[in-house]
Amino acid sequence: MSPRPNIDHIRRPQILAAAAEVIAERGIAATRVADVAGRAGTSTSAVLYWFGSKEELLAEALMWEDDLFYADVTERLAEGYSPAERLALLIEAASLGGGWTLWMELWSRALRDPQAAEARENGDLRWREAIAEVVRDGCESGDFEEVDPDQVALTLSALLDGLAVQVTLGDSEVTAARMNQIGRTMAERLVSCQVPESPSRWLAPA
Amino acid sequence: MSAEQTRARILEAACELISEEGIDEVRIARVATRARVSTSLVHHYFSTREELLTGALMLSFDLAAEERFGSDAGRVRLDGSTHAEALALAIEQCLPDLGANEHEWVLWVELWLRAARDPELRPVSAQLYERYRGWLLSVMEAGVEAGEFRTDYPERVADLAVGLFDGLGLRVLLRDPGMDTHRARQVIAAALAPELGVQTRELMPAATPPEPTATR
Repeated sequence: MSPRPNIDHIRRPQILAAAAEVIAERGIAATRVADVAGRAGTSTSAVLYWFGSKEELLAEALMWEDDLFYADVTERLAEGYSPAERLALLIEAASLGGGWTLWMELWSRALRDPQAAEARENGDLRWREAIAEVVRDGCESGDFEEVDPDQVALTLSALLDGLAVQVTLGDSEVTAARMNQIGRTMAERLVSCQVPESPSRWLAPA
Repeated sequence: MSAEQTRARILEAACELISEEGIDEVRIARVATRARVSTSLVHHYFSTREELLTGALMLSFDLAAEERFGSDAGRVRLDGSTHAEALALAIEQCLPDLGANEHEWVLWVELWLRAARDPELRPVSAQLYERYRGWLLSVMEAGVEAGEFRTDYPERVADLAVGLFDGLGLRVLLRDPGMDTHRARQVIAAALAPELGVQTRELMPAATPPEPTATR
C-alpha cells in the first residue's frame, strides 16, 4: 500500500456523509464505492481504506447519522427543560428525523443478515434508552406517574418507528406534524402528565 | 396456460424472490427461471424490472387486502360478537403471525424501502395506507356508533393503531428478543383501550395467559 497522506482522517466524516446520501437515494445494492467517492470528492481507494466493504459503509454511515442525531438532541436536552418538555423534544426530533430511509435499508437487510439485525437491535436499544432516561427522571421528580420507563420507551419507540414510515413515504395524512401530535398524545397517556408542544417548536401543531 | 395465468405466475415468482432475497437483489432472469418461462416472455408482459416489481408488490397487497379488509368492518365482526372483539381480531390480523403471513409482512417492509427511495412508487404506498387506515377507522366508527367505544377522534385512534402495527409488527418480524406476537398484542391493546374507553383485556383474544410483570 502506498503511503497515505496524513490529512485522510479529515475525509472520513465527508465519506460517511456522502455514503449516507448516496445509499439513501439509491439503496446499498445500486451504490458503487466510486459513487460515494465521487460525492465525497475523494478517490475510491480512500473510501476502501476506511471501509472494507459496502456493508460496512452502510453500518458506519447509519451510526454516523445516528450520532449526529443524538449530539443534536443531547445539546438541546441540556438546556434545563422539564421531563415533559424533554419528552416532547425527543418526539419532535424523531418526527423531523431525516435518517429514516437508511433505517429502512437496515430493516430490510436485518431480515436476512444477522449482522444487520444486530446493528438494528443496538440502534433500537440506544433510542429506547434515550426515552427511558427522560421517563425515569420524570418519575423521580414526580412529574410523571410511577410507570415502568422501559415499557413506556418500548411502546413509544415502536409507535414512532411505525409512523415514521408513512411520514418518510410522503403520506398526505400522516405528516411530520401529525406524527408529532400522535406521539405526544400517546406519551401523555403513558406517563399521565401533560406533554406540551416541544420548546423548540419546529413543528406547528397539526 | 392463458396469458393471464402466465402473468400471474411471473408475478408470484417475483413475490417469492423479493421475499427471499430482498427487492434490490431480484433480477428478471431469476424471476423467469423461477416461473419456468423465458426471459423474453417476462419482458413481453413487463417492459422494465421496475414495472415487474411494482406489479408484484401490488398483487401481493391486493390479495392480502382482499382477505383481510373484505368489504367493510362487518367482515371482521362475527355474528353476536362485540366491537371490542372485532377490534381484537383486527389487531391479530394486522400483526405478523410468524409462518402464516410472514411472507406478506416481508413484502410490506420491502415496499417501505422501495417507496422511500422511489417517489414514483409513493402513490401506490399512499393508496395502500389509505385503505389500511380506512378499514381500521370503519372498525372504530362502528364501535362508536353502537355506543361501545367512546372517542371524539376516531381518525387519530386509527392512525395510532396503524403506527403501532407497523412499529411493533416490524420487531416481531425481525424476531426482536423483547417482542413477540403476543406481547405486541398486549402493548397495542393497552395503548388503544384507554383511547376507546374500554378495558385492555377486552381487546385481547379470549383465553389469554396473564400479563407478565417483567418488561424486558
